[in-house]
Amino acid sequence: MASIEFLILFLVLASFLSYFVTKINSFAGSIVTIFATMFVLVSLSAYGFNATLDTTVLYLPGFTFEFTYLGVYFAIIVAFVYSMVSFFHPYFVDHYKYKNAYNMLFLLSLAGVLGAFFTNNFMQLFFFFELIVWTTMFLIPLGKSKSAAVSYFGFSAAGSFAMLFGILIMFKEAGSFDITAGLASLSGTNAILVFVSFIIAGFAKLGVFPLHIWLPIAHGNAPHPFSPVLSGALVKLGAFVAILALVRISPASSMITAIGLPFAHYIIALLGAASIVFGTLMAIKEDDAKKLLAYSSMSHGGYIIVAFSLLDSVAFAGGFYHILAHALASAGAFMAIAAVAHRTGTTKMSELGGIIHKMPITYVVYLVAIISMAGIPPMGGFISKWLIFQAVIDKGLIFISIAVFFGSIGSFLYVFRPLAALFLGQEFPQFKKIKEAPILMLIPMVIITLLNIYTGVFPNGILGFINKILPELGNYAPLVINSPALTITGYNGVLHPTLIAGVFGFGVVVAFIIFILLKKSRQVGLMDTYTAANFIHTEELLHYSVDFYAPLERLYEKQATIMTDFYDALANKVKEIGKLAKYLFMSKYVEVSVFWIVAILAFLLWGEI
Amino acid sequence: MLLNILIGFGVAVFGFVLQTSVAGVNRKVIARLQKRYGPKWYQEFIDIFKLLSKRATSHGWIFDFGVIMALGGIIATAMFMPLTNNIVAFAGYDNFFIFVYLIAVGMLGMAMSASGSGNPYASIGVMRALTTMLAYEVPFMVVILTIIKISGSSSLSLIGAFQQSAGNNWFFIALPLGGIVGLICLMGMIGKKPFETYIAPAEIASGPMVEYGGKQLGMLFIMHEITVFIEVSLFVHLFLGGAENIFLFLVKYFAVYTVLNLISNVNGRLKIDQVVKFYYKWPLIMAVTQAIIAIYFGWVV
Repeated sequence: MASIEFLILFLVLASFLSYFVTKINSFAGSIVTIFATMFVLVSLSAYGFNATLDTTVLYLPGFTFEFTYLGVYFAIIVAFVYSMVSFFHPYFVDHYKYKNAYNMLFLLSLAGVLGAFFTNNFMQLFFFFELIVWTTMFLIPLGKSKSAAVSYFGFSAAGSFAMLFGILIMFKEAGSFDITAGLASLSGTNAILVFVSFIIAGFAKLGVFPLHIWLPIAHGNAPHPFSPVLSGALVKLGAFVAILALVRISPASSMITAIGLPFAHYIIALLGAASIVFGTLMAIKEDDAKKLLAYSSMSHGGYIIVAFSLLDSVAFAGGFYHILAHALASAGAFMAIAAVAHRTGTTKMSELGGIIHKMPITYVVYLVAIISMAGIPPMGGFISKWLIFQAVIDKGLIFISIAVFFGSIGSFLYVFRPLAALFLGQEFPQFKKIKEAPILMLIPMVIITLLNIYTGVFPNGILGFINKILPELGNYAPLVINSPALTITGYNGVLHPTLIAGVFGFGVVVAFIIFILLKKSRQVGLMDTYTAANFIHTEELLHYSVDFYAPLERLYEKQATIMTDFYDALANKVKEIGKLAKYLFMSKYVEVSVFWIVAILAFLLWGEI
Repeated sequence: MLLNILIGFGVAVFGFVLQTSVAGVNRKVIARLQKRYGPKWYQEFIDIFKLLSKRATSHGWIFDFGVIMALGGIIATAMFMPLTNNIVAFAGYDNFFIFVYLIAVGMLGMAMSASGSGNPYASIGVMRALTTMLAYEVPFMVVILTIIKISGSSSLSLIGAFQQSAGNNWFFIALPLGGIVGLICLMGMIGKKPFETYIAPAEIASGPMVEYGGKQLGMLFIMHEITVFIEVSLFVHLFLGGAENIFLFLVKYFAVYTVLNLISNVNGRLKIDQVVKFYYKWPLIMAVTQAIIAIYFGWVV
């Protein structure tokens, strides 16, 4: 019998165990993290799918837990990403200054995630939220840059305090911290305040426009094995909070009859759309592969926000499926990049080239992950994007559809860049001696690849589980799926993912037969290419990877820094106000201080004398 | 199920034969326009089969695998394409989004293979092809959103049937602005001048195709012909009322392709940033205007 409390306590104990074991032997300590996370994943899946997870509390006074399908769905996805990433630890922890702390904080943050998804009390939600923020804050600076953690903590703290503000408003109304009672008690201005504060919290965690600045900084500089967790698992916490706000709070706002959406939700959907466009454009520009994927996370966060602000069961199903598909795709892509970084020591696209010849399996992992990320069949991303498109078209949301389609096509552009720059192209001489990633790293990558394909070919089982979540969100009809026939019915069409995959397989077989029947080709080297009669003998000069989309980038290079400029200007304004306060009140001249004392006394005693 | 797959494969083969012949006839049309005699109408077949019979060079496994994936993806996409109201391999599953996204698998395969050749011209060509795709796809999709919203279905044969039913015009007439946008976007899709920036033979040595020869090039030619077939048929079904019988389909198909070819041959080539700027200016404005008029005001001719 597994109870949620037991799993959390188990993780806390395992984290201390791994701390001490890592001190003695870092490999053994990392194995502890693998077993601990695998145990949590297996027990969550075994009891969660049957809804037999125990919620009783024996040892933690004051804590209460509740079983919801929503919580289980998120918890299993996050635990899965954690357990897959832990396989990378044996190869990476030795690079970090505080390797024992790394393993310990990793497990502690998973404990925080489990608590946050299963709690039914707002104060606990805040506590577990902070647990995650604090553990993560000490994990990120173990990577490339210490200042990345500051940026992450700044935005996370802003989100947390916004959430605390909303929680306290609800406490005033309802008299308890209970989530259901608190959300039910809201009305009028309070509903709007809580809605806005929860949206800020969700956006800050999910990294959605305009609170996205931390995302590329933190993802890009975090330790290589921690980036997949950040992008695939932890930002989904923001989606969890945003769902609470978007679906369960209905702030008083006028209905836009043409599209059948409340005004407030339409504004949120527009912000999600802005996030999609902004993330896509910035990802196209980026040179560091990890930062590129971070911006793509921002764009996908936009899709999730758009889906949940449409208040529609097909869109919700699409949003939930997108959370899963993106977690798998982004974990796969980040892990492939981590494997490359493990072998070559860099993630900059301008420094890499042609490693497909030495790391073919990593290449296939990355390829399948980006096919899913770009929403191309037969991978999971296609199903979720199709469902979201169904809802967007059914509501007739023209301006949001521009962003949704732009992000979808734009994702082809940015995901292709690392593919071409890292793996394809000329093989650099310095990478001619590298080897394929070690076997322990390949295991999770292959599992994730198979799951990416599975979610695209047989989505019905997972969509059936999502249909159990939908009634928890309110009065939403389940998505129409036909499990024996393997079809999904949207608003304007029927999708048969298995058929698509089968036909694609048939096409590839036909093409393969044509290929194999014809004359065999002669193998030539990569340098043996057409160069328009120029003699070029260095691989770097024949590898086109720097500023790949230069003509496109030039079209928006002036607008690209608009958000960082905005935050810089904001920081300057805050500094100026501080300087003004310092100039006015903290002068070194005694007479100025005396003046302020007299003035304030006069103000306080106004009307008394 | 086996019968359906055979029909689908038949559609793909038919599409290849049709487009290759139409392209050959069009070479003659253009030749007459330029006061030349022009090649035989079956010249394209000769070229492709000659290439398939030659021995070629290969730049590694990804170079070959990408070609197989490209042709496989495109054949799979063509198998879903309805020809007429009755000739459709997988009735009910000819969803519009399958064509847009499954075709992308083929494109990705070709891009992968081209980049795998290690030639910078190929990479530049891929970059331009993807950028062009970003340019034309968004206005096109907004128009398609309008069509799906009005007809209530994203199935190509159902959209065709909707236009054939009494009281409804072809969408090319019903949505005049959208129809023009669709035609302009179709020119970008099949890579006709002024949007053929990613091929640009004189500038980047045929872009993605630069390293190919022999069977790989032959297979990519087949892939290209089927791709054009898919895209022109999409236009026929979405804007020109589909086809009640195969004869109507052939007439509409030939008319669309020839018109595009004629427009193409009196134009020069745009630079890649000009292509992007062009599509995000007038076609997008027209598409959005059309969508607002048709969806929010309900004014459909």
